[in-house]
Amino acid sequence: MNATQNTWPWKVLLAVILIGMAAAIYGSVKKIDYEWRWYRVPQYFVYQGEEVHKIPFDGRITAVVANGDVSTVTMTSESDEVKTVTVDTKTIKVSEGEDLFVGDTVGFTATWHLGPLVKGLWTTMWLSAISSVLALAIGLCTGLARISKNYTVNMLAAIYVEIIRGTPLLVQIFIAYFFIGTVFNLSRNVAGVGALALFAGAYVAEIVRAGIQSIPRGQMEAARSLGMTMPQAMMDIVLPQAFKRILPPLSGQFISLIKDSSLVSVIAITDLTKSGREIITSTFATFEVWLVVAAMYLLVTSLLSQLVFYMERRLAISD
Amino acid sequence: MISAQNVTKIFTGRGITVRAVDNVSVEVASGEVVVIIGPSGSGKSTFLRCINGLELFNSGHIFIDKVDLAHKKTNLNHIRAEVGMVFQQFNLFPHKTVLENLTLAQMRVRKRSKAVAIEKGRQLLKKVGISEKADEYPSRLSGGQQQRVAIARALAMDPKIMLFDEPTSALDPEMVGEVLDVMKQLAREGMTMVVVTHEMGFAREVADRVIFMDEGKVVEVGTPEHFFTNPREERAKLFLKQVL
Repeated sequence: MNATQNTWPWKVLLAVILIGMAAAIYGSVKKIDYEWRWYRVPQYFVYQGEEVHKIPFDGRITAVVANGDVSTVTMTSESDEVKTVTVDTKTIKVSEGEDLFVGDTVGFTATWHLGPLVKGLWTTMWLSAISSVLALAIGLCTGLARISKNYTVNMLAAIYVEIIRGTPLLVQIFIAYFFIGTVFNLSRNVAGVGALALFAGAYVAEIVRAGIQSIPRGQMEAARSLGMTMPQAMMDIVLPQAFKRILPPLSGQFISLIKDSSLVSVIAITDLTKSGREIITSTFATFEVWLVVAAMYLLVTSLLSQLVFYMERRLAISD
Repeated sequence: MISAQNVTKIFTGRGITVRAVDNVSVEVASGEVVVIIGPSGSGKSTFLRCINGLELFNSGHIFIDKVDLAHKKTNLNHIRAEVGMVFQQFNLFPHKTVLENLTLAQMRVRKRSKAVAIEKGRQLLKKVGISEKADEYPSRLSGGQQQRVAIARALAMDPKIMLFDEPTSALDPEMVGEVLDVMKQLAREGMTMVVVTHEMGFAREVADRVIFMDEGKVVEVGTPEHFFTNPREERAKLFLKQVL
């Protein structure tokens, strides 16, 4: 057999399968009566909002100076208080010398606002980021406890991991918010982050434990035989090697965490998923919004995968 | 230098009790080279590991420089810093360069400055003949080179005693010589050494005393001439017949 194989027939096959699946979906959607309204989606990323500028007192417009697209309006009150506002020229509702009552509209300015999809994505990202950092800390401590020779420490860690891995995340989030959150008066964000961190921490703990145990015992013995203490040997010798090995499963766990964070929408945290649901209630663009939301999750998770891939290559220099 | 008195190490597991080291008493004087030989499973490696506290023994005493390892207040980390160990599987730190392997413990344990540690490290790499590999990672080195780095790493701590646990057993035959040469040089310089090995040639040439162990017990102790030409015990005769 040839060492260099021709791959293009398989590439063609792949393309045919993918196109076939896309066509099948397209055909099925055609059959049902759904009107695609993609044009309604972009406004939920960013939109232009109008800000109203009103006169804060009874008074008179003393000057209107146009400067291209914007104009400066000077207002003077009956007690000779002077105030200026800048509004878009096209939207000016007043002219020089006009008398106005308090609250009358002078004009508008248009400003760009971030839409709910971007805000939701931001919430999802910081929620996942904080949870990941906490999960890593919890997982590291629990993982070390799991390999400890101390019975109590070891069992406490084992019980924690068992409970978390044996119950659904959704139920844990409910308990964290409705039970623990009520008892300790926690905000929904704290409850959400806590539940996610504890959940991921249990899995990280098992990854860390397996990683440490995969490092040959001789490494620890060599470090100890040089007079290094247990913590020194752990920090300088075992954990750096273990980290390199657990990076792939660890990144998988964090990608899971980003996806699982969508469950916190059930306790009314406005993350990407909840934003999507809210948009649907006002647009009924169900298909478009969910597809966009899925694509945004995919974007974040694939960026993370790329980052980890890059780190793996950097760490591989000593192999 | 080393005084082991009635050391016993018992392994228990799955209902089986093994007396891996059974009532062993050995004295090693400063500057002496002692070679421990014996069939596999005779407890010689376990005994060696007891000497620097990698293996905790069940009863007896081991004194290193008059400090009792079995005493509760003894800080084993301090003892281990004085007792270098070379392993069968080298156990170099794969994520650190050769030079970093030599400098890490110097800085962490001996609290030397980085510059001093590097100076010492380079000096020792030169001594074991691989100064050109200082910035390589261990995976790029041959087995013999790795073991020489491991010896240099132990020497970097300025140990009073060096323990060798079958240092050439994992090496390709053509690399055994280069490691033994380094060990011979150390012996000539007056290092106190305890060597577990199957290299009978080395034992005969370098050892001041040979200890023959079997089933956890010291069976025979003697000078190499005595042991290799005219052993007293039947078990030792049988062993020598098989290995020579």
